[in-house]
Parts: sequence; C-alpha cells; structure tokens
Amino acid sequence: MTRYLARRLAHALVVTLCVTAVVFVLLHMLPGGPVRASLPINATPAQVAELTRQYGYDRPLHVQYGTWMWNLLRGDLGFSPQLNMPVRDAITERLPKTMTLMVLGIGASLLIGVPMGIYQAARRYQRSDYLLTGATFLSYAAPVFFVGLLLIDLLAVSFRVFPAGAPQGDSVAEILSQPNALVLPVATFAFCGFAQWSRFIRSATMDNLVQDYVRTARSIGASERQVLWVHVTRNSLITIVTLLGLHLPTLFAGAVIVETVFNYPGMGLMFWQAAQNHDYPILLGVVLFGTILTIVGSILADIGYAVLDPRVRLTA
Amino acid sequence: MEPVLRIEDLRVEVRLRDSVVRAVDGVSIHLRANEMLGIVGESGCGKTMTALSVMRMLPPRGRIAGGSIRLAGKELTALTDAEMRHVRGNDVGMIFQDPFTSLNPTMSIGRQIARAARLHRGLSRAEAAERATDLLELVGLPHARQRFDDYPHQCSGGIRQRVMIAMALSREPKVLIADEPTTALDVSIQHQILDLIDDLRQRLGMAVLLVSHDLGVVAGRADRVAVMYAGKVAESGDTDALFAAPRHPYTEALFEALPERAAATRTPLYTIPGMPPGLARPLVGCRFAPRCRYAEERCTVEEPPLAVALDGRRHACFHPVGDPPQPLARPAAGAPQVPTVADDAAAAVPLLSVLGLVKDYPLASGAMLRRREGTVSAVADVTFDVHRGETFGLVGESGCGKTTIGRLIVGLEKPTRGSIELDGEELTTLKGAAYRRARRDIQLMFQDSSTSMDPRMRIAATLREPLAVQRVGNLRERRHRIEELLGKVGLPAAALHRYPHEFSGGQRQLLSFARALTLMPKLVVTDEPVSAMDMSVQAHILNLMRDLQHDLGLTYLFISHDLAVVRYLSDRIGVMYLGKIVEVGPAEEVYRNPAHPYTKGLVDSAPVADPVIERQKLRSGIKGELPSAIDPPSGCRFRTRCEFAQDVCAEVEPPARPFGPGGHVAACHFPLARPAGVTASPAT
Ligand SMILES: Nc1ncnc2c1ncn2[C@@H]1O[C@H](COP(=O)(O)OP(=O)(O)OP(=O)(O)O)[C@@H](O)[C@H]1O
Ligand code: SF4
Ligand code: SF4
Ligand SMILES: [Mg+2]
Repeated sequence: MTRYLARRLAHALVVTLCVTAVVFVLLHMLPGGPVRASLPINATPAQVAELTRQYGYDRPLHVQYGTWMWNLLRGDLGFSPQLNMPVRDAITERLPKTMTLMVLGIGASLLIGVPMGIYQAARRYQRSDYLLTGATFLSYAAPVFFVGLLLIDLLAVSFRVFPAGAPQGDSVAEILSQPNALVLPVATFAFCGFAQWSRFIRSATMDNLVQDYVRTARSIGASERQVLWVHVTRNSLITIVTLLGLHLPTLFAGAVIVETVFNYPGMGLMFWQAAQNHDYPILLGVVLFGTILTIVGSILADIGYAVLDPRVRLTA
Repeated sequence: MEPVLRIEDLRVEVRLRDSVVRAVDGVSIHLRANEMLGIVGESGCGKTMTALSVMRMLPPRGRIAGGSIRLAGKELTALTDAEMRHVRGNDVGMIFQDPFTSLNPTMSIGRQIARAARLHRGLSRAEAAERATDLLELVGLPHARQRFDDYPHQCSGGIRQRVMIAMALSREPKVLIADEPTTALDVSIQHQILDLIDDLRQRLGMAVLLVSHDLGVVAGRADRVAVMYAGKVAESGDTDALFAAPRHPYTEALFEALPERAAATRTPLYTIPGMPPGLARPLVGCRFAPRCRYAEERCTVEEPPLAVALDGRRHACFHPVGDPPQPLARPAAGAPQVPTVADDAAAAVPLLSVLGLVKDYPLASGAMLRRREGTVSAVADVTFDVHRGETFGLVGESGCGKTTIGRLIVGLEKPTRGSIELDGEELTTLKGAAYRRARRDIQLMFQDSSTSMDPRMRIAATLREPLAVQRVGNLRERRHRIEELLGKVGLPAAALHRYPHEFSGGQRQLLSFARALTLMPKLVVTDEPVSAMDMSVQAHILNLMRDLQHDLGLTYLFISHDLAVVRYLSDRIGVMYLGKIVEVGPAEEVYRNPAHPYTKGLVDSAPVADPVIERQKLRSGIKGELPSAIDPPSGCRFRTRCEFAQDVCAEVEPPARPFGPGGHVAACHFPLARPAGVTASPAT
C-alpha cells in the first residue's frame, strides 16, 4: 500500500509537471494576452509594455514557468489582476461550491442510472428494456448546455416553476439554503449523466448474470431477486466505483458547462470567465486542479476496487 | 420401493436460430434412495441437459418438451417457478464441473454456505454461520472456523469443490446431482472428492446422480450405470454386470477404446468410426447405426427400444453384444505381461539426455502475489534419458513441472542450470545456425492446438511454416511433404485449403501432430496431446501416434497427467512431483510395482474402468493438497502428504536408488519395494 502510494505520487508529480508546462506554453502562444485584457481599450503601447514588465511577462518562458513552479511549491498560485485576489483564495472560495454541485449531480445521476440499469438487465431484451435504452440514447445525444437552456426555457421561463439562475453566495451554506434554485442545475447534470451509469450497470449486470456463480445461487433455490441483489449487484457496483474515479475529470468538465449556463458561482464559471479575460494565473490554477483531480480520481478508483473486490490487492 | 427420482421419457429441446436441437430424446432413468447412479457418455450426448432438467435450470433457449420427472412424489415439470425454487436445495442439490467459476468471487466461502443454509429456512444469521462451519467440517475442511472468511480465490480447486458440496448439501437434500464434479481437478484431488461424495452419501443416506465422461470415475462408486448416446440411454444396468459384459455395441466400443485395458497387451485401441449424429435433424433407426460394426438393414430403419432383457438389464439394440452374455475376458492380475526391456538399453547412447536440469522462475516483486518474493522452483534437478525409438512418458499432476521440462527441451525456455544433450550434442550452449539446426530435430506438439494455430492462416500455410523458417526444400518439395504428412495423419488433401476453426478438436490435434512432423524431427515432445478429447477421438490419436512412431522411427517424450494414457503409450515412464522425478522405470514395472509412495498414490487415484479394482482402491490415494513450489518442503518434497514420512525425510533429500531391471529407479527413504542389491530378486 505504501509502495503503491509512493509510486503513484511520483507518477503524479511527473504528470503535473508535463501538463502544466504544456498549458503554460499554449497559453503564451495565444494572441492578446493578460495585460492587454486588463487595461482599458485606449491604453497606450507604453502603458502595456510597462505593465507587461511589471507582471514579468517579458521574461523568457522557461523563467516564467520556473518562477510559477517555485511559487507553487511555496503554496503560492499567483495573483489574478482581473479578480484582484490571489489565485489560491479564488480557488479555495469556489472549490466547495463546485464540489457541492458535482456531488449533488453525480448522486442524482447514480440514483436514476443505477436502479435503471439493474432493472433493464433484469428485463433484458424485453420491451421496457428497449424503451429505457431509447431514453438513455436521448441523454447521450443531448449536449449539456442544450439541456440546460431547454430546462430554463421550459421550467423557468414558460412555467416559472424554478428560477432560471443558480443560487448565489460565497459559502456552501448559502448555496444550499436556496434549494429551489439548485434544482435545474442538478437536473441538467443528472440528465446528462444518468445514461452512462445505467449503460455501465446494465452491461455489468448482464455479464454477471451469466456467470457460473449465479447458476450456483439458483441451484440452491435463490430467487431471481436474491440472485440480483445479493450476488450480482455488488459485483456490478465494483465496476461503477472504478468508473466513477476515472470519470471525475469528465464530470468536472460537465460542471464547467453547467455552471456557465446557470451562472453558478463555482470554479467552472470562474474558469470560463478567466478564459475570456486571458486571466492566465486563474487558468493555470484550474488546470492544475484538473490534473490533480484526474490523478486523485484514478487513485480512488484503484483503492475502491481493492476495497470492494477481495481478489484485488494494490501492488506497486 | 418407489425410487426418490424417476425420470420418464424426458425430452429436452434447445431452440436455435433456425433449428431445434433435441438434446435429450426420451430418457428414462430412476434413482433409489441412497443409491448412486452413474451417467456416462461422450461430449454432447445429453448428460448435462438431463441433469439440468431435474433442477429445471435449462439454458435460456432450452425447455422440457415432454416426459415426467418425479422427485419424492412431486411432479417437477408441473411445479410453478416459486415451488421449484423451494425444491432446489431442499430436495435436490447440484454441484457443477468448474469449481473455479462456480463460487461468487466477492463473497467469503463461509457466507456463501451460510446463505445457502438460510434460504427457505428460518435460521438466524448466527445459526446459519454455525451451520456453515459444521458443513465445512463435514466436507473435510480442516480448521473450518479459520477458513470461514476466506474468499474463493484463496482456495484451491479441491477446496472450492468441497465448498460447492457444502452449499449443495446445506439443507440436506435427498438427491445430489454431480455433473462432472472432478473433471477440472487433479487425480489425487479427484479421488478425494469422489471419496467424499461417496462417504456423504452413506452418512446422510442421500441418492447421487453422478454424471461423467470418464468410465473410471463411475466404476468404483456407482451402483448402477446408464450409458447415453445422442440424447438417449443406450444401455443401463448394475455397474458390475455392465462393466464386466457390456451389451450395447456403443458401450463395448467405449471399453475397447480405453487405453488402460490395452496397456498390458499394447494392442491398438478400437476406434469408433465417424462422429455422433447432429441432433437438430430428425433421426431414423438406431442412432449408433452409422458407426456400429454390427449394424444391419433393420437398424437403419427401425429404432431399437430400450428393452429389459432376460438378464434384467436394459439396452437399446437389436443385436446386443455377447448374446447370451458372457463375462469379458480379463487379464489375470499379476500376469507376466511386462514387456521385456533390454537391459543393455541403458548402455547405448541415449537420443536425449537430460542431466541435473533446474528451472527457477523469479517471482516478480509483488506481481499479484503480495510481499512474497523469491523463486518458484518449477524443475529441480531432473535427470533422465530417452532412448532412440522409445516413448518416454512424463506423468504427474498439474504444477509438477512436466510442461516446463517439455518447454526447456524444445528450447522455448532457458534452463537455470543443467544440461540437455541431443545425440551427444549439448543444446543449452548452442548459438546461431547450429542452434537452429539442432532445433529442427526436436519438435513440440502443443497442448491446446486450437490456440497454437493462427486462425487466419490456411492449414497449408501453417504446415509449410516450419519448412520455410528452416529453409528446407523448394516450394514444390514443401507442398509434396505436407500433402504426404496430411495423408499420414489421415486427413484429406482438401484440408490444406481450410482454416483451423473448420476442424474439430481432434482433427486440429492431428494437424498439430502433422506440423510437428514436417521437419522430420528425431524427437517429438507432446504435451497433453489427448486431454480434453472424447474417448473415441483419444483412441484414434493414440493409435496414430503409435503407428507413425513405428513407420517413421520417431522418439516421443510424452507428457500427460493421465496415467492410463501414459502407461499405454510409453515404454518407460518418469513420475514427477513438485519439480522432481521421484521414480523412473519401465512402464509396466512402475505401474505394477511402484517403489515410491507418490507413484503408488497416483496409481490408486487414477480411475480405472473396472469396478472390482476401483472398489479395492476406495479411500486410498493421496491425502492433502500440493504444497507451493515457492517454498518447497525440505528433504523429500512429498513428505507433507506421505503417510510413511519420518524425521529423516524432512532433513535429507532421498537419493535415487535402483529397484529393478530396465533402470527402475526411485528416490525414497522408505520405499514400498526393496531396492535392488539389498536382496537379489526384485519384488514380485
Ligand atoms: N446452450 C445450448 N444451446 C444449444 N445447444 C445446446 C446448448 N447446450 C447444449 N446444447 C446441445 O445439447 C446437446 C446435449 O448437450 P449436453 O450439454 O447435455 O451434453 P453433455 O453430455 O453434458 O456433454 P459434455 O460431456 O460435453 O458436457 C448437445 O447436442 C449440445 O450441442
Ligand atoms: S441396433 Fe443395430 S446399429 Fe444400433 S447398436 Fe444395435 S446393432 Fe448397432
Ligand atoms: S522419502 Fe519419506 S516422505 Fe518422501 S516419499 Fe519416501 S517415505 Fe515418503
Ligand atoms: Mg456436460
């Protein structure tokens, strides 16, 4: 276990270095730039040059990267002139809110997807299975922003059941105190996420249902329901845990879109605004977070797998 | 007395896309309380379908199309699904062939048994756990309480099959159905499991339906036997009578295809021509007629009924064998049929000489096995010679290192130490062109011919490949050679243009044999060439191997776990246990007068299709399980399972000592026979 973690951490370090370096280079190849964006339209070239020097953007790229890394090691992610606050503070303020949205969204999609997949596997190749399969394809085909806008148009504009905007506020408590406003963002998340879980569970369950151990369970007189819940579901959920870990980055990407559509004050919205404003320090900070999330997700997947499946042991 | 299970005119259909397979077609059998009925027959004859019908657990497209199944007065075919679930486990339990996949991998064995014990019973969790522990003890698992929380992957195949039995018996059903319960296990474990089933039958007074393709497995334990062919019962009767004098020509043919019956005389085996009929078409007349040597006009138009003959046995044949019945001639025990092996054979220069061969596999740090680092001692100081023109058989259970030896000799692996000489030339140090040339002289016939041939390559290309690699002859000569070889193994030249999947398993094995012969090797190493084959196919391949050996002057190193097959084909055999050869000698000598306790145990464990012999061997065999090759036992590696083991066995590795003529050698401190030289005459 310790060896496993040590190896994974070393691996993580290398990946982080590579990803941030690549993003660093790519950002600096973009036209415009942070300085231009943070100054008024009519700023003189001299003013731009002055600010560029002040921020250190005139130094060679590798020096800039080195500085960024060095600061990072001291826990300093840089300063965002546009937000006028340290990147670290910006992220720590918004991270819990994004996490809240993700947990609620993933929870809702699992709540729909998992029972649906099991139900479909139990009714495999019957009419209800085909119908639900159709529904999942709908969910697959619809882009997140489209679903979000559709829900706003339908339930907020036409019928005014829920507010069109997401809850606002600086803390998770404030966000949670506006459950009405949370409904549409979470529903969008769930609608676009349940399909993959139900497909995963359906196929994992069907794979398990034809295993010899299921035949054994039937031979001792277990009912189909017992077979399904006692033997098969646990084995199918193992697959889901792994997939959940591996899908964390994709889910984060989904959160970015949902936050943008609903103007939800999380990291996703901040990222999107930073991208428009050429706010490099913020962009880099969020990319760093995404990288770490990917690595943590895959470690969690491994650990979850090892905890749930007695055959698997973590090995270096 | 009314039997506990009575199957009457059972018909099972399996619906395929465009046809209906009549997998079971009018089978009637019965099983009395506390009785064991053996069902034997070759692959696809409907044994499993019959067994699954009793559980009403046919595959999705299968259904019981007719007939009746009465279990303890209940008509099973008329029960609702819910009622049937109650019957499963309560009235009838079943164990399956593959213990490696039949248990839930993520539930501990104790919990799985406890669940089985609780179903349909009002047991509390604690009571069920208590019962599961008792059951584990009942099926002979030592330290049951400690092993309760083990997961299936931590158990050996034998233990998993014990767990399966415990589950099946958890609610004390009156009938146990065992479908090939030991086919996936080693012979010593097979023997233990069969003994266990037999023992539990007596203690619990249940009836057992034992399904097997192996006549030997049912011989010593079943009270009665039913032989199935193509979805029907060909013959049934008391085990002794049936084995002594089969009445149906199919049964007779099966017996004549058995290598063990011909081992002493080494006569060619009888091979049943052709293949069993497909069951998707309607069949007229006797199903065995196209393959029957006694068939006549009437057999092809009229179906023989399964009739009770004057002697009380049932058989479905117009011309039963031996009418009036007469006992089958049995070679008298101890008859001096040991082939004379020239004593000067040892003096001649052997074709293959293996000296002090060692193969250790380093255990990659942690790969799957945690922490444990070290080496797997797969082959540990093995020495033997193979003489020109002989067949040397290597026999032993899985994991004993026989396959590794084969791979070392053909050069697929490099030995850790030791020498391999072919014709006096050291192979282990050869390099480059000389190495390639030497390799030509040793060819391997693979164990699993279905995976060892490129599925996208036509047979012609597959067979030509070795010739091309070794740059032998021109294209025409190569074509000529492979056509000739194909003829030799009895396949038509048209086979050259087909792909591997278009052949049956037996035919693929023949192709694999032909490929091994393309380079005219001096030595052919065959690794389990006939395991997993039906008896009649096996007989065909063994006959052919023997014929070609004679015609082409081949030398075989024949590797198999099946003692009967090894004994039939080999002049001399080496018995392996955990990386060591424990006994070598002339085949019949080693078989009849084993000096090493392991050899004796192997002989006792290997099932023989003779009820008289089998009954004598009940509850003999080898106890315990194979220890790990990572830390093999000190001294004699067999000592952990040997009933004669003394302190010295743990301290001193027993040296190889001579025991008789023909180079009979065994390595044991307390052998079962007197070593040669201690007294003048060898054991009689
Ligand atoms: N799932 C299936 N679909 C179609 N046909 C099947 C299926 N299972 C079995 N059969 C057919 O039913 C017949 C009887 O099969 P069964 O499994 O009972 O044979 P068996 O005697 O148990 O053979 P084996 O020794 O190989 O286990 C065979 O012709 C087989 O091809
Ligand atoms: S009925 Fe005829 S074909 Fe069938 S087994 Fe008897 S003799 Fe052979
Ligand atoms: S040496 Fe000892 S332990 Fe080994 S087989 Fe002989 S008696 Fe048994
Ligand atoms: Mg079968």
